Amino acid sequence: MRNAARIFPSAETLTLELEPVLEPILKTENLWKVYRTGKVDVPALRGINVEIFPGEFVSIMGPSGCGKSTLLHVIGGLAQATRGRVLLDGNDLSAMSDSARTLLRRHKVGFVFQRFNLLPTLDAYHNIALAQHIHGNGFDPHRFDVVANLLGLTERLKHKPSELSGGEQQRVALARAIISEPKIVLADEPTGNLDTKSSESVLGLLRQLNKDLGQTIVMITHNPEAAAYGNRILHMRDGLVVNGTSIH
Amino acid sequence: MIRYMIVQNVLHRPLRTLITVIAVAVEVTLVIIVVGLTSGLLLESAKRIEGVGADIMVQPPSASVFMAFSGAPMPIAIAGKLQQLDFVQAVAPVLLQFNSVNGLDIVYGIDPESFRAVTGGFVFHSGHDLLDPNDILVDDIYVASKKIKVGQTLHILEHDFHVAGIVEHGKGARLFVLMPTLQDMAGAHDKASVFFVKCDRTDHTPAVMDGIRQLLPRYEIRPLKDFISLMTSSNLPGLGAFINTMIAIAVAIGFLVIFLSMYTTIIERTREIGVLKSLGASKSYIVRIVLSETTLLCIAGIAAGVGLSFLTRFIFIKVFPTLTILISIDWILRAGLIALLGGLLGASYPAWLASRKDPVEALAYE
Repeated sequence: MRNAARIFPSAETLTLELEPVLEPILKTENLWKVYRTGKVDVPALRGINVEIFPGEFVSIMGPSGCGKSTLLHVIGGLAQATRGRVLLDGNDLSAMSDSARTLLRRHKVGFVFQRFNLLPTLDAYHNIALAQHIHGNGFDPHRFDVVANLLGLTERLKHKPSELSGGEQQRVALARAIISEPKIVLADEPTGNLDTKSSESVLGLLRQLNKDLGQTIVMITHNPEAAAYGNRILHMRDGLVVNGTSIH
Repeated sequence: MIRYMIVQNVLHRPLRTLITVIAVAVEVTLVIIVVGLTSGLLLESAKRIEGVGADIMVQPPSASVFMAFSGAPMPIAIAGKLQQLDFVQAVAPVLLQFNSVNGLDIVYGIDPESFRAVTGGFVFHSGHDLLDPNDILVDDIYVASKKIKVGQTLHILEHDFHVAGIVEHGKGARLFVLMPTLQDMAGAHDKASVFFVKCDRTDHTPAVMDGIRQLLPRYEIRPLKDFISLMTSSNLPGLGAFINTMIAIAVAIGFLVIFLSMYTTIIERTREIGVLKSLGASKSYIVRIVLSETTLLCIAGIAAGVGLSFLTRFIFIKVFPTLTILISIDWILRAGLIALLGGLLGASYPAWLASRKDPVEALAYE
């Protein structure tokens, strides 16, 4: 009987092993962000509640001015929430000082921007290595090689941003975002400045990173085709998430 | 990594870098040359006084160590009394006049015989000793500077002198005339500005000085052995203030140029600062980048400034052979430190500004 129990665990044990309770890597609770323009308060986020789980690739869609970028800035610790809570890997960003949020960004968040935002004076190699340097754990050549190979940058590392195409620049930015193994990558319209072919390449890489490395990704986009690369789409309007769609 | 980034930043804007480096170089050169010029003039003057060969110099009460500032209030008869003191071998009274026509020179009015007894006499390159009341002797450096020859007329102190001889430099002044001539011109009959005293043996100098103190209690009595150490800017009223003012002007130039350069750099790189912040760069990291870049610019400027100082000295001495510019390691280091501190001070506000930038606004900067 004892042996049988070892080979065939009870139903309770089996449930625990197959369906572990998954904690969200990112959670917002009644998240508000209000900008003050002169004497007028302009709410950009009006009580957002979202949960992002490890390994998810979430696309956020919505019209211009609906608060997508603001949401990305607040959940990435670049801006402070006016009200509500942001929990990133268990850390409450809304209760943190500017220095503590900087530290959290350094270790847990990778950003990808629409305009690539590479440092023009540095070549691709140093743009990527810079993130590792700021991260503070020293240069990891193995990790660097893996990332450069994965993103097809090995032959372009000696080139400065001005010598790279838009797609190549965005791949360098992507490499910079993931080089320090962040908990979450936040991409703000990563294909907004790219042609169709480069966009497909970058989106394909994002999906590959998500599937192969289990990288959690939150991506903002206007483009429904781009959004479809994610496995969940959140729709925003007027500072609120109005609905979510899961894609299988 | 920071070093590489800073070097690339500096190379990215070559004109801005060049202008900043030149400004720091000018600052350093200004300090080194102003100090070098004053120190050089003082040292050269002191060496010439020492070159007289006397052991003691006697001046009127409260007279400055800088003899050009002294008048002629001492009766020449004092020379006879000094001559009678024990261990005194020779006494040479000298009347000084300051000539500011065609340069700044001290003219010695001398009695050739007593001056020769103290100094050992001139080494003549050409010509002869002072014979006629209108004769003048000039040294070889003065000749090189003014391109004059024996037999030529030299107009100084509103008087036409006849160049009687050219002598080796280093005997107190560059121009020598007969004492009675200079006394007439200065209206100082039977007066002298200074007495050079030669002892029979150098180790008798303290004893002779004691004797002079008893004879002339309130007079300034200085051993010439220590004369160079007395010829410093701190002993000349106003010279220290002049040097400090020039240093302040130089520092202001460096400070303002660095401030402006780094301020415009920060504005220009607003988006890059936003990127660094998004990557998790701390305020201190950004301050470090700005100040390190400033340090690099200052070091380049200091190196260029030291080179420029030597070049300036070379040109000055070619054009004005009578000038002495003393460039010392001490003042090269001081000028470098002044430039570096001024530069870092100028960059500190832009660095603080950069570290305080809001990352979202910085990333949105066009």
